[in-house]
Amino acid sequence: MAEPLLRVENLNVTFTAYGRTRQVLRDVSFTVAAGERVALIGETGSGKSVTAKAIIGTLPKNGRITSGSIAIGGRDVLTMARGEREALKGTAFSLIMQDPLSSFNPVFKIGTHLDDVMRFADRRDGKVSSKADRNARIAAVLRRVQLADTERVMNAYPSELSGGMRQRVLIGLALLHQPRLLIADEPGTALDVTTQDEILNLINHLVAEEDMALLMITHNLGVVRKVADRVVVMHHGDIVETGPCTDILHRPSEEYTRSLLDAVPPLYGPRVTDLPQSGEPPIVRIERLNKIYGRRNGYHAVRDVTLALKAGEIFGLAGESGSGKTSVARMIMGLSRPTSGKLAIDAPDPGRGKRLTQIVYQNPGTSLNPKRTVKQTLTLPLKSIGMDAARRDARMRELLELVRLPQSYLAKYPHELSGGQKQRVAIARALAAEPKILILDEPTAALDVSVQKTVIELLMQLREELGLTYLMISHDLSLMRNFCSRIAIMLRGEIVEEGPTPEVFAGPRHPYTRALIAAIPVVTDEEERLKPTVTDEERMRFLVKTTD
Amino acid sequence: MQQHPLVAILTRLGTFVLVMIALSVMIFVLARVVPGDPARMALGPAATQEQVDALRLQMGLDQPLAVQYLDYVGKALHGDLGMSLVSQRPVTADLKQTAPATVELVLVSVIFMFLVAIPVGVITAHYRDRALDHIGRILSLTGVTIPSFLFAITLQLLAARGLPGWPIIGRIDHSLGWPGGPTGFLILDGLLAGRFDVALNALQHLALPAFALSMAGIGQITRITRSSMIENQRKDHVLTLQSFGVPERVIIFRYLLKLSSIAPLTIMGLEFASLIGNAFVIEMVFAWGGFASYGLQAILQKDLNAVTAVVLVAGLFFIVANLIVDVLISIIDPRLRRKEAR
Amino acid sequence: MADMKMLDSSDRGLSTGYMMWYRFSRNPAAVAGSLILLSVVILAVFAPWLTPYPKHVGAVVDFRARHLPPDLAHWFGTDKAGRDIFSRTIFGLRVSLLLVIGVLGISVPVGTVLGLIAGYFGGWVERIVSGLTNVMLAMPPLVMALAVSNLLEPTLMNAMIAITLLWWTWHARLIYSVSKSIASEDYIEAARLAGAGPLHILFREILPNCVSVISVKTTLDAAFVILFGATLSFLGFGVKPPTPDLGSMVADGRQFMPDFWWEVLCPGAAVLYVTLGFNLLGDGLRDMFDVES
Repeated sequence: MAEPLLRVENLNVTFTAYGRTRQVLRDVSFTVAAGERVALIGETGSGKSVTAKAIIGTLPKNGRITSGSIAIGGRDVLTMARGEREALKGTAFSLIMQDPLSSFNPVFKIGTHLDDVMRFADRRDGKVSSKADRNARIAAVLRRVQLADTERVMNAYPSELSGGMRQRVLIGLALLHQPRLLIADEPGTALDVTTQDEILNLINHLVAEEDMALLMITHNLGVVRKVADRVVVMHHGDIVETGPCTDILHRPSEEYTRSLLDAVPPLYGPRVTDLPQSGEPPIVRIERLNKIYGRRNGYHAVRDVTLALKAGEIFGLAGESGSGKTSVARMIMGLSRPTSGKLAIDAPDPGRGKRLTQIVYQNPGTSLNPKRTVKQTLTLPLKSIGMDAARRDARMRELLELVRLPQSYLAKYPHELSGGQKQRVAIARALAAEPKILILDEPTAALDVSVQKTVIELLMQLREELGLTYLMISHDLSLMRNFCSRIAIMLRGEIVEEGPTPEVFAGPRHPYTRALIAAIPVVTDEEERLKPTVTDEERMRFLVKTTD
Repeated sequence: MQQHPLVAILTRLGTFVLVMIALSVMIFVLARVVPGDPARMALGPAATQEQVDALRLQMGLDQPLAVQYLDYVGKALHGDLGMSLVSQRPVTADLKQTAPATVELVLVSVIFMFLVAIPVGVITAHYRDRALDHIGRILSLTGVTIPSFLFAITLQLLAARGLPGWPIIGRIDHSLGWPGGPTGFLILDGLLAGRFDVALNALQHLALPAFALSMAGIGQITRITRSSMIENQRKDHVLTLQSFGVPERVIIFRYLLKLSSIAPLTIMGLEFASLIGNAFVIEMVFAWGGFASYGLQAILQKDLNAVTAVVLVAGLFFIVANLIVDVLISIIDPRLRRKEAR
Repeated sequence: MADMKMLDSSDRGLSTGYMMWYRFSRNPAAVAGSLILLSVVILAVFAPWLTPYPKHVGAVVDFRARHLPPDLAHWFGTDKAGRDIFSRTIFGLRVSLLLVIGVLGISVPVGTVLGLIAGYFGGWVERIVSGLTNVMLAMPPLVMALAVSNLLEPTLMNAMIAITLLWWTWHARLIYSVSKSIASEDYIEAARLAGAGPLHILFREILPNCVSVISVKTTLDAAFVILFGATLSFLGFGVKPPTPDLGSMVADGRQFMPDFWWEVLCPGAAVLYVTLGFNLLGDGLRDMFDVES
């Protein structure tokens, strides 16, 4: 058998922080053959990114490779001289960076970055190239990542391009010198789902065309199915299992992989949960709501939105960034005033200090004050609804039980909690004020998929126990498919489609809805088959252009 | 969305005019509400009450404060800042005579500051936690901790002991018989007139005070440059360039240096305030005879018109320096240009 | 950024106190700075018992002992009136520390409160505070302090008032920018939704998150205040003789340069020692808290 392009063998890596050393990778071994597409998948702390950094040679200063080898093209890079290893960069393998904004120096033009990378790679190869020659080659590469207006892209500063365009440039950067191995660290994760889909298609297309090998680092099993031939599953620094993509996704042999797959909300098929429709009267009524930010020629964030939220239902407001979904939610909460239109909440006055609405934010890391303990955080709403100290203590115990956290957590600070635990505290805080309506602002977007599952289950149970109404805003349609009883899709401030969730997914009428659903990476072939189809013409009309 | 750069600069100038007005009101009010009669102070305890009253009338002190202020501003705009009670000359004339010496000192100090601080900051950041870094940090720590008067006196002492004949006070040797030139900057005037001996002599005189004056700034700017370089080194974009094999020196001297020069420039603008303050000390120690020495005398003698003018001119220095800094930063940082336009 | 994230996950389970102590004890600058400051405070507080010639603080004249170079009896030598410079320097530290306490004791709370308010409420409060700080910043502080203290009366008390009048603006400006960025955090909105009043938000939610910034700034500022006070008294705006004051001691000694250099360098070095202590501690705290400057 031929030597694989990349061979990682018994790799052990430790990190040292605050005088303590932890092992973050344990005997990690895997290979990537020439032309093969391999996905490295795992949740936070699984060691997938550390593995990638060890291969590229960009481990942070407190990280150390204690044993093992990494061979590229049969040569061990760990024993190589520094200069020799540098020479591999961009030619033997290339990296597609994750966050397209911070990956460029903000005070230099895109073209400068590209030109320097090309110039020094040429120099390493012993070639002398002229500026004009390099420009022509860069333009050619940009056209290959479907950026048509190359002149404009090269002369733009990073902040002047859209996220999708920057991600394309980063891919182009990786292609400048025809590497044999492409390493991609969660490409497109920071972008909208439709843009991410385009980016993945582009990577697939390029890998096939150039006959490159691909090592894809991701947390998303749907992405794995889309771009990988073989999968390496990691958990807490260990490799759990390795195998062909279809085997891992359909017939996993390890319990961990199974639980991971099980946590992914299905888009279509028998595993989908249908929620009953609420027969109650509307609790929130919105008519022709408009929001314009700024005075003259302001940004029209919400256009003529008409909605009714029935009591006891879970209503999903879906859309990509900038669609206006958050603006609608903020107006319902009374956090911002509509420019025009009617908004009525049909419920009795909740009484002193209470509010009808509360919110659970997207990122529990920023929605809990880092300098206040769980107890202090929970005391505030209880105090403001007029509870005395004894009743507060009792209620706090109840709340922690409700969100399934041990009582001892009252004394903890947010940094001592995991992401999922923080989100439970945030939910407890929202419930403490005894609201009728809970706004869920992408409540699981910052969490791992297995944690997401438990949080969603918790939210479902709480709604039943407490008889709440939920308004969920999200871009994650597969999650909403299973969690919402009704759904509305927003595009550029307008609602383009609305209805009971099963109906909308079974027969999406608006082409944007179809495009949005079609872009979701799914785990099974069956789901892929059941997705709606979109014509290119429709795609062009409704999606944000990232190609020039 | 792009706004004309000129508009942006004009708006900024506008805010500076406002600051200048506020500053002048404050110092003007302050100078007149403080206890004590300015006329009495000017004339001293020996003067008769009639003399004091006459001066009060002449100074317009019997008018309401607002009238006095408007009167003052009206005259100031025509270049009349009143008479100095001590020198018995127009304050403007005194300023014209003394300002160039200070401007020359400050300019040379600032240039020296950047020539030393930026390279030291870059080097210490690169050799972080190694010998060179520690030496650089001691240098910058000395800069920010040492009292400027102590440093100035120590320099004088060392020069007197180690460099006999090196001038340690004044701006120029009087034996050269230099009558003065059009700009008032001795080095420039000397060069313009072809008197290289004058320029060289003035430069020798300038060396120690300029070094002493720049020391605090060297400390601050070295620090900021170092921490800014280190902070930016951790950013993803450095990783991008590294992963594609762009050499370390290019990343540092091209990419990081430009990005990391924003913070020291900003600090430089603010540092101007303490630079002007320190000039008072340095001019006193080196008998420099500039604007700051004049200001110190004016303050000691309670020469109201001169004090007001000195504070205003010092404020103007600061504002102009910050205007220049703002323009430089917006040239460097495209994000700022766009934000302004919005 | 990425490596910070990795650190985060390993932080869990470590107490804040332990992490602070770990960073502090491994930070030579912070340790050295605290030791220096500890020695300064002890010397200043117990000066009457620790100095060899506590009487020399007053108007003592001993012409036989004037201008003696440093030796075992007089570690820092003697001055023009034959007084022990070491004793006077130690007592001079008291004046410097009092100045720090006086100036920062007023300007830090005032600046912090105004900064918090301006940052959180915005609107006209923000406009007034930022306008005022803009004007104040345009005044070279030393020039202002000189002008104000002299127009009143050139004493240390007045100099202190003058410095205080200016100093709060620097604090207000810093806390304003920190408070403004914290005010837009989700947890502030969440607190508001939970029924928190403005006082609770300002002092319970925002202020605790400013503590690290305030302590770093205050420590570094203490050094500046001492430098400032010494410079003012060097220029002749200090405490009245014969009370020893480091800046005026240097100014006195300057007349006898370069022959009796110890009269300048010893009190000058004492200023340097204290400012060094504050600066080292301030830098150390900054590293510990990971505060950006």
